[in-house]
Amino acid sequence: MKKIILIALIALTPLFAQVKENIEVPYVSYEIKMGKGFDQVNGNCLMCHSFGYILNQGPQSRAFWKEKVHKMINAFKAPISDEDAKTVEDYLATYYGNGK
Amino acid sequence: MKRRDFFKTAAVMGAATLGSSAFGSEVKIQQPIDNRPISKFNFPEKRPMITHSDRPPLLESPRDVFTQAITPNDEFFVRWHMPEIPTYTDPEKFTISVNGLVQKDYVITLKDLKNDFEQVEVTAVLQCGGNSRSAFLPATGGVQWGSGAMGCAKWKGVRLSDLLHRAGLKEGAQWIGFNGMETAAYYKTPGFVRELHLDELDDHVIVAYQMNGEDLPYLNGYPVRLILPGYYSDSWVKMLKNITVTSEYQHHFFMDEAYRVPDNATEGEMPDHLVKKTKPITKMNIKSVIGFPENHSTIAINSQLVVRGVAFDSGIGIKDVLISLDGGKTWEASILDNEARGRYAYRAFRFSFKPKRLGKLNIMAKAVDKFGHEQPLAQNVLWNHGGYKYNGIDVVTVEVV
Repeated sequence: MKKIILIALIALTPLFAQVKENIEVPYVSYEIKMGKGFDQVNGNCLMCHSFGYILNQGPQSRAFWKEKVHKMINAFKAPISDEDAKTVEDYLATYYGNGK
Repeated sequence: MKRRDFFKTAAVMGAATLGSSAFGSEVKIQQPIDNRPISKFNFPEKRPMITHSDRPPLLESPRDVFTQAITPNDEFFVRWHMPEIPTYTDPEKFTISVNGLVQKDYVITLKDLKNDFEQVEVTAVLQCGGNSRSAFLPATGGVQWGSGAMGCAKWKGVRLSDLLHRAGLKEGAQWIGFNGMETAAYYKTPGFVRELHLDELDDHVIVAYQMNGEDLPYLNGYPVRLILPGYYSDSWVKMLKNITVTSEYQHHFFMDEAYRVPDNATEGEMPDHLVKKTKPITKMNIKSVIGFPENHSTIAINSQLVVRGVAFDSGIGIKDVLISLDGGKTWEASILDNEARGRYAYRAFRFSFKPKRLGKLNIMAKAVDKFGHEQPLAQNVLWNHGGYKYNGIDVVTVEVV
């Protein structure tokens, strides 16, 4: 059985626009698979975006995921160590791979 | 973050070039992913929508929204690039700064924006350059949108040219840079900055504070955003805070690397032979989307069915939306609404018929513009590495029972 964890984030962001009271962007608990490398995914990816970004891509090849991790590092300057980058790539290819 | 890690990362930056190996080589263009579930969460000033992400918020309109020529504010799609959106904007204190290569810098409040300039309105389609991206196989980078990353609204504000006129452009002024208030988690992440050349400006480009008669919803860029009719939404900067005039093009990630297509006549390329020279996506191509009926719905035989949808382009003007019920062999004209909303707005179409045969029925919609340009079949859309500008003929499959 696949182990699935619900990640509930505690922080809420108050917003204020034309409504006259504090409003909040809800945090969505995206179901993400638990497994080897999850801690590195949690620690690095979540700094900038939700797990929704990963799930939205659908199952993809290892080359696809590797390119995405390096895009985060090179284009968006995410300070992900080489070791973590490899771990995250392995995690994505294992749990969100398409066998290629 | 460990300091050492950061320098290690920095050393790799720029050196790494991304090869084409990340893509498979078998190109297939399919109908964009449809019927994704609507989330149970409603975001501020929004109904529950298809929720690809909460941070940054990525909300997609479901198909049935496209039966309407004006997209309601609470069903209008949402796309942010950065995780940090200001949590509070005081409309009394908010200002926009106009600066750079101008005679006189100034900052302007929301109140002065509404009082000191001629107030103008334009109805225009706002569409993400990556709308319908999930049609492209092999999958390209970016959000795998269905066809709901678009909407049409009546925008009210002031002309950008009037704002620039007050500042007075200095000789040599060529480019205008825009940035909003969203910020990244890391200082080093490139900011979301867009630039326009002065030649791209006309009187339809406005700085808007109102959408369909209401304040902009927070997630659509409250208090003000840039409106560029006919252009993809990457340049419609939200929560616009700063306008800077320059003589030279300033290089930015979101200009130089994102939102670009091959710079060739077809704008197509192959996954294993990416085209090196690229150009910004800029103006929208012709497109139509069926709002009703929905995929997998059942329709009673011999009942009167009215197909409804919307069509648009970059402002050339829609001449026809043609419907086919036989896989594209024959096409019949639908009825278009009038052009009262102007050339940048949706044209709503409707087509009435009685299904006569049991079983699966494919309903196809194809828009044609006044120059005769028309939408290609999905399988004839050319692949590009960013999955931009999909405009294949929409196909909805229903079951006649």
